[in-house]
Formats: sequence, C-alpha cells, structure tokens
Amino acid sequence: MAESNKKILVVDDSTLERELLIEILKGSGIKNEFLQAKSGEHAIEVLGRNHKEIAIILLDWQMPEMTGLEFMEGVVKVPAVSKVPIVMVTASGSEENKKQARQVNPNLAGYVVKPYEPEVLVEAIKPYIL
Amino acid sequence: MFFGGKTNPNLEQFSKALSESVAKMFYERNEIKFSQDPVIEKRNIIEYNGMMRADGMEKFNEPTFISYINYFNNVNDMEKKKAIGGIVIYIEQTNVTDLLKLLKYPLADDEDLEALADCCGTLCNIIAGAFKTEISKMGYIELEMSHFTSYRNRAVVGAPFSYNEREKYELSFFIKRKKSLVIDMTMGVVPKR
Repeated sequence: MAESNKKILVVDDSTLERELLIEILKGSGIKNEFLQAKSGEHAIEVLGRNHKEIAIILLDWQMPEMTGLEFMEGVVKVPAVSKVPIVMVTASGSEENKKQARQVNPNLAGYVVKPYEPEVLVEAIKPYIL
Repeated sequence: MFFGGKTNPNLEQFSKALSESVAKMFYERNEIKFSQDPVIEKRNIIEYNGMMRADGMEKFNEPTFISYINYFNNVNDMEKKKAIGGIVIYIEQTNVTDLLKLLKYPLADDEDLEALADCCGTLCNIIAGAFKTEISKMGYIELEMSHFTSYRNRAVVGAPFSYNEREKYELSFFIKRKKSLVIDMTMGVVPKR
C-alpha cells in the first residue's frame, strides 16, 4: 500500500479498541503514523496541534464528557478542520444513528459498526489515506 | 427509592432480544456458539441510595470485572442522568482476556487490572450497541447510550436504573460448558416510534 506522511487520528475511550484498530490498519499495510485520543476533549487538543498533518479521524460515539457526535458538531463549524474526513467507528449501528451522524456532518466519510471485520474498516478509510 | 410508576410489561421480550443479540454478535464475530441455551432469570432489583446493586462476587464467587452502560430516552435525559435502563456485564477475572481473544481482540496483559477493566468495558460497549440496535428494530424509539463504566468485584456506588422498575433479568451465557458471561438487564417503559 502506498505511503502517506499524513497521520490518522483514532478517538476512542477504550484503549483496547484503539489498539485493535491500529493493529488492523498496520496489519493491512497502512504505513501512516497514528495519533490517539481517549475523549472528545482530548481529540480537540490533538486536532488543534496537528490538524494540517491529519488525513482522517476515526471516531467513537460513546465517550465520557464530550461524545463523538458532539466532537463532530464542533469540528464541522471550524473552517480550518471541517474538511478533515471523519469515519464513525461505533457500537451503535441503527439506521437512525447513521442518519443522525450524517445530519451533523453531511460529508461524513464512513460509518463502521463495532465489532467490525478488518476489511470493512480498511475499505472505509483507504480512499482518504492514499 | 422505587417511585411506583408504570413498570415495563415487556421486560421479558427485552431479555430475549438481548439474549439473541448477544448470541448473534458472538456467532458473527467468530462463529462462537454457546454450549447451552442462556439461562434467563427474573430477579428483584436490590436498590440502595437510588442505584442498583451490582456485585460480581454474587455471580461468580471469584474476582470479577463489572461494566455497565445505561440507556436514556433522549439527550436531555442523558444530561440529567435519568436512565431508562441499562445492562451490567460480569466476567470472571481469569476469563476476561480469553473471552476477548475469542472475539478477535488483541491480548491484554492479564495482570494489568486497568487493562482488564478496559477489556470488560469494551465488551459491554459492543453488547450494549447490538442490543440498542435490536431495540430500535423492534419499533421502539432510538435510545441514547452512555459510555461504559467499569469496576472490579463490585460497582461501588451501584448502577443507575429506571426508578419505576422493581425487577431485572439476569442472563448467563456458557462457553465450553463454563459460565463465561453474566448480564443484568433493566429497562423501563420505552416509547414506541
């Protein structure tokens, strides 16, 4: 897989989910560097410092304090970061939730439901990291 | 602190939906079949200071990890912490990494208690998500779901629940004839869409 010097930001309160996701992507040949955040607030800090280098954000929904949806509501309002593609990676797989996420972010790059098959995740992010 | 409002007449239906969504999730993830039908039992909620008791030692009599996630009718109720229901999952400490390994998760250090609590919470999250999707498919409103909270042995302050409810369902799942996962489920009256 082609190399990119842009980074992938993984936002999830579960360390295990973050590790699984990074392991899958590295295992599939993705060479990008990973940044991690364990909450929406933490993700804002990381995004603020690194937004020019971030290729894509992989975002959990249910997190303490600021949820993934709230984080995304904030991101889409800030022109400097609103174009960074976001893929939701969440346990909430209902059609209603998918619709809600797309209402908040009409440019949502993808919606992956946990537990996911590795190929589904790789396919969802591939177009944004090459 | 039970308020004596209307209790959920369909609690058993919810327990079956939870059981089926757990079985489906395990099978789809790694073709794991439980070695017997889950044992589903109705039990009284033991309440203290407005919270439901969640004691892992009562389920396994061994060190146990506990995680809970709550459901809410809407975002406002979630902000006010007014839960309509929830699930509490219990996994024996010695079984946490094995169970996650079966579900193809990376191996955690089984001596790192914080990592084990995170594993238990991660499993609680995917079960709660599958159950929420099932509830939605049953024609009920889309519930909001909290993040997970994890403890070892006992949820110190208990787990939130709908105050009108007096009963919960306890579901026990068996892998290789060993009780591997226990889930307590509470649910108040969920409006239909």
